[in-house]
Amino acid sequence: MNLDNRKYLLYGLVLFTSLLFVFKLLYMQVIDDSWTRRATQIAEKRREIIPPRGIIVDRKNRKIVVNKISYNLMVIEERIKRLDTSAFASLIGWQVKKVKQRFRDIVKNEGVYKNPATGKTESNYRPDRPYPFVKDLTLEEITRIASRLTDFPGFYEEPTGTRYYPYPSGANILGYMNEVSRNEIEKDPFYRPGMNVGRSGLERSYESILRGKKGVRYIVTSATNNEIEPYADKKFDTLATPSPKIKLGVDIKLQLFGEALMKNKKGCIVAIEPQTGEILTMVSAPNYDPNLLSGRKSIRKNYPGLVTDANLPLFARPLQAEYPPGSIFKLLQALICLQEKQITPNTGFSCNKAVVGCHDHPTATSIAKAVQYSCNPYFYAAVRRVIQPNKKKNIFEDAEIGLNAWHKYMMGFGLGKNLGIDIDTLAQRNGLIPNSLYYDRYLGHHQWAFSTIRSISIGQGEIKLTPIQMANIAVIMANRGWYYTPHFVKSIGKKGPLRRYRTKHITPINRTHFDAVIEGMRRVVYEAGGTGKEARIDNFIVCGKTGTVQNGKNKKNHSVFIAFAPIDNPKIAIAVFIENAGAGGAWAAPIAGLMLDKYLNKKISDKEKEQAIINANLMSSY
Amino acid sequence: MRQPKGLFSNIDWPLLIGVLTLMGIGILTVYSVAYNPEHPSLFDTSQKYGKQVLWIGLSLFLGFLILLIEADMYRKFAEYIYIVTLVLLVIVLFMPPVHGARAWLGIGGLGIQPAEFAKISTALMLAKWVDNTNIKLQNIRTISETLGIVLLPCILVALQPDAGTLLVFTSFFFVLYREGISFDPLVFSILRYFPRVKLKTTWLGTHFVPFFFFLVILAFLSLFLSGSTYSPFGIQLSGPLFLILLISLIGLLFLGFISLFGYPRNKTKNLVVLLSSYVFSVFLISSITFFFNHLAAPHQKNRIELVLGLKEDPNGADYNRNRAMAAVGSGKFFGKGYRKASVSSMRTNHVPESETDFIFCPFAEEWGFVGNLFLIALYLFVLFRIFSIAERQRSVFFRVYAYSVGMVLFYHFAINIGMNIGLAPVIGIPLPFLSYGGSSMMAFTIMLFVLLKLDSQRRDVLR
Repeated sequence: MNLDNRKYLLYGLVLFTSLLFVFKLLYMQVIDDSWTRRATQIAEKRREIIPPRGIIVDRKNRKIVVNKISYNLMVIEERIKRLDTSAFASLIGWQVKKVKQRFRDIVKNEGVYKNPATGKTESNYRPDRPYPFVKDLTLEEITRIASRLTDFPGFYEEPTGTRYYPYPSGANILGYMNEVSRNEIEKDPFYRPGMNVGRSGLERSYESILRGKKGVRYIVTSATNNEIEPYADKKFDTLATPSPKIKLGVDIKLQLFGEALMKNKKGCIVAIEPQTGEILTMVSAPNYDPNLLSGRKSIRKNYPGLVTDANLPLFARPLQAEYPPGSIFKLLQALICLQEKQITPNTGFSCNKAVVGCHDHPTATSIAKAVQYSCNPYFYAAVRRVIQPNKKKNIFEDAEIGLNAWHKYMMGFGLGKNLGIDIDTLAQRNGLIPNSLYYDRYLGHHQWAFSTIRSISIGQGEIKLTPIQMANIAVIMANRGWYYTPHFVKSIGKKGPLRRYRTKHITPINRTHFDAVIEGMRRVVYEAGGTGKEARIDNFIVCGKTGTVQNGKNKKNHSVFIAFAPIDNPKIAIAVFIENAGAGGAWAAPIAGLMLDKYLNKKISDKEKEQAIINANLMSSY
Repeated sequence: MRQPKGLFSNIDWPLLIGVLTLMGIGILTVYSVAYNPEHPSLFDTSQKYGKQVLWIGLSLFLGFLILLIEADMYRKFAEYIYIVTLVLLVIVLFMPPVHGARAWLGIGGLGIQPAEFAKISTALMLAKWVDNTNIKLQNIRTISETLGIVLLPCILVALQPDAGTLLVFTSFFFVLYREGISFDPLVFSILRYFPRVKLKTTWLGTHFVPFFFFLVILAFLSLFLSGSTYSPFGIQLSGPLFLILLISLIGLLFLGFISLFGYPRNKTKNLVVLLSSYVFSVFLISSITFFFNHLAAPHQKNRIELVLGLKEDPNGADYNRNRAMAAVGSGKFFGKGYRKASVSSMRTNHVPESETDFIFCPFAEEWGFVGNLFLIALYLFVLFRIFSIAERQRSVFFRVYAYSVGMVLFYHFAINIGMNIGLAPVIGIPLPFLSYGGSSMMAFTIMLFVLLKLDSQRRDVLR
C-alpha cells in the first residue's frame, strides 16, 4: 500500500483550515461592519459634559443667582447585587414600600419617551444606564449615605447644581427651575432625565444661554464600565462651554429696598433707567424668597403653599396684572391733544363738575396747571376735541375716526399690547386700549360717541395698563418722547442686550409738546395744590403724577404714582401701584419718593417715613 | 555514527526562525495586552510580559540543553518519559482544583500543567512503538495497544477535566493514519456476521480516521445549520436540506471524477464506497436534525445552540465569544495600531483571558486583517515545514514524532483561532508560542527542539 499520498490529506487539512480562517477574517474584519459596531457599543462610550449653569449678576456685579452643589443618588440596575431593600430603605430614610415603588417609577417614567420616528411611546429604559434614584440631597445627607454605599453596589452619588439666591429677592424676575419633563426631553436633545430646566422668569427666557453648551468626551470603558482612557487621543472630544455671565440692569439693593417697602401691601414698584430701558427694580408684592423654589425637594415642599396662597405670591403683578391707570393717563391725553393741535399749552378749561366729578382747585388755565390739579373736566373737554374732531357731520362716524386716531397714539406709547420684555412673553399681559371695533362689539356699530366712552379721558372705564406699561409712560416722559423696550438683561458676556432691546421706539409726539406736560408733573410735586409732594427728595427735582383709581363700589381706590428724576437728564423713571390704598398721593407717592431717594441719593433722608411705610400693613383692606 | 560538526550545523533554520518569530509576536502582544504604565519595562518580571520573556528565555535554554542530548537518547528513554508523565497526570488529580480543573502541579507560586508535557511524551512513546519492527498496524492486538498508548493519557486528562487537551490528543489518529493504521480488523469483526461478503481490505477500515473526522464535521455542521434557513438562488431551504444538497453535489462531482479518471477495474468498488458514504451522510444529517429538533430537551438544545453560537446571549453564556469576535472584527483591514486595542486589552478587560487563550483577539484588533494574514501564513509555513521535515526522515520513529508535533500544533492553531473568530466552540487551549503561560511555552518549545535535534541527526540513521 502506498502511504505516501496520505501526506496530502494532512497538507490539505492545514491549507483548508487556513483558507477558511482567512475568508472568515476577511468577512469579519473587512466586509461586515456589525462586529465593529458591536465593539464600539462594548468598549466606547460617549460621555456628555454639562457645564455649570450660568450665573446672574446685578448692575453693580453683585451675584444674585449662583449655583449650589447638591447631590443625586444614582442607580444602575444592572450592577445591583442582591439588594437588601430594608437596609437600603433605612439608609436613605424611606419606607421599604417607597423604595420598591421608586424602582417601578424609574422604569415606568424615566425610561419612557415618544419615538419621533414612529410617534409611539416606547421605553428606552436600560438597566445599564444611570437614573437618579433620590434627587437633591444636601452635602450632609449624601455624606451620611455615601459612606455606606459600598454595601449597595449599583448606587453612587453624583453632584448636580441647584440655584442659590444670595439676596432672597426678585423671585418674580428670576423665576425658578424644575426637572425637565418627558416632552422637553423628546423635543430637545440637550436634556436628559434628571436635569433641570428654567420654568419661569429669566431662568426660562434665557434658558438656552444659561444652560451653556454641552461638551462631549469619547472614552474607552472597561467591562466593569469604568473609564479607562480617552478614545482616539481625544480627537473627537469637544469642550463644554459654560454660559457667559448674564448681567442685569436690576439694582438688587434697590430691589430689596422696594420689597421691604411693599411688605404687607399688594401692588408693585417698577423702576426703569430711561436712557437704556433697563429695569432697575420690579417689585411684585406680596412675593416670596426665590430659595423656596430651588431644588426639587424645596419645590415639592413649598410650591403647593405658594400656589394656593390667596395673595398670589407667584403672580407677577407688574407684568400680569391689568389695572385702570387713573389720572396718570392724563399725561398721555395732554400730549395727544397738543400733538393734534386741539389745545395749546395755554388752553384753559373751566372745572365744570356737572359733566364729571372733580375736587376743589383753582381753574386750570394751562395744560401744566391741568396736570398739576389733575382736573377731570379739563381733560374731559380736551379729549372730547380729539375723539370728536368734527371731521364728519354724524357724531358717531366722527367719534369712530377720532377714537381710532387716538388709539394709534396710545399704541405708539407701547400700550394695548405686550411690551415684550425679556421675561417669558406668555406671562405678560397686553392691557387694553379700546378702538372703534372694541366698542362696536359691545355697543354696536355707530352706536357710541365721546359721551358714551368719556371715562377713558381720565384713565378709567375700559382702559387697562400693566404696571410695567405705567413705568414705561414715566420713561417716555423722562425721555421726551422715546423709549427702549424695558428689559432686564444688560449684557450677556461681552455682548450687550438682545437686538430688540437696542431699537429706539419713537412716540408720535413732537418733543416740544413734552415741556408743558413735564412742567405740570413738576408742579404736581412742588407747587401748592399738587398731589405728589410726598415724592420730593433732596438734591433732585422730581416730576410725577398721582393717580387714584376708582375701583368699583365699596372698594378702596388704588393708589398710583409715576415719576422720573431728575427733571433734566433723568436717571430713573418709576411707577408705584398700591392696590386699595386710597389716594395716589397718600401711598404711592411717598413710596416712589423713598425709592428715588435710595437710588439717586443712596440714602434715606426721611427715616421716619421709611419706617412708617415699611411698618404699614394694608393687608386688612384686601 | 558521525560526530556532529557543530551543535547548530544541522539545525533546520527556517523552522526555528519561523517559531522564534511567533515567540516575538507573542511577547509584543502580551506586552500590549498587559501593559502597565507603572512598570513599562518589557523585562519587569512583576508583569506578565516580563514573565513571558522569562518563560521564553527558560524555554530556549531548555531547547539548548535538548540539542546537547543525542537523538538516540529520546528513543531509548521514551517509555520512561511516558511513564513519568502518566504518574504526574495521576498525581495532579489529587491537587486542589484551579478554575474547576485539577490541572496544576504547584510548587509554591509556580505551577506546571503535566497535560502540556503529556503531549510530548505520548508523541515520543507512540513514535517508538510504531517504529518497533514487530508492530504492524494491521492486527487487532497491535491496534488496541497502539490506541491504548494514546487513550491512557487521554483518560487521565479527561478526569481533570481538560476538554481542550483531550481534543488535542485525537490529533495522533491522523499521525497513525499517515503510518497506515487500518481499522479493518474491527470492520471484519462485524463483517463476520455476513459470511457471504469476502474482502481482504475494506475502504472504511483503511480510511477510517479521515472518514470519521468527516462525519464529526458533518454532524457539527448539521447541528449548526439545523435551525437556520438558506435561500440560494431565491429558493427557500432549511439548513439541513441545504447541507444534503451540498453533499449530493459533491457526490455527483466525485461520481463524474470516478467515471472519467478512475481505473475501470475499481469502478464498482468506488461506486459502492461513494454511494454508501452518501447514504450514510444523508442519514447522519437527517437523524441529527431530527434529534435536535424533536428529541432534545429544551435545556440541552439551549446549551448546544449556545456552544454553536446559534443563539445570541452576548452578556451570558456567549459572553466570551461575543466579545472576542467584536474585538477581532473591530480590527478592520489595517488594525487599530499597536497598543491601541480597546476591546481586548487587559485594561478594559472586555475579553477575558485575552493574554492566554484569547491572545489572537488583541493581535487581530491591533494588526487587522493584514496582520492576521501574516500570522496565518506564518503558522502555515511552520506547519508545512514540520510536515516536510517529517517526510524527509529515514526513520519511522523520527517521522511519527515529527508528524505528531505538526498535528498537535495544527490542532492548537485550528481550535484556538477558530474559537476566537466563532468557527469553533470556546475550548480553552493556548495558541502555540503566542499565548502567555509557562507550561505551554515550555512544552511547545521542548517539543520543537526535540524535533530539531532528531532532524539534525536524521542522516545518522542507517536505512
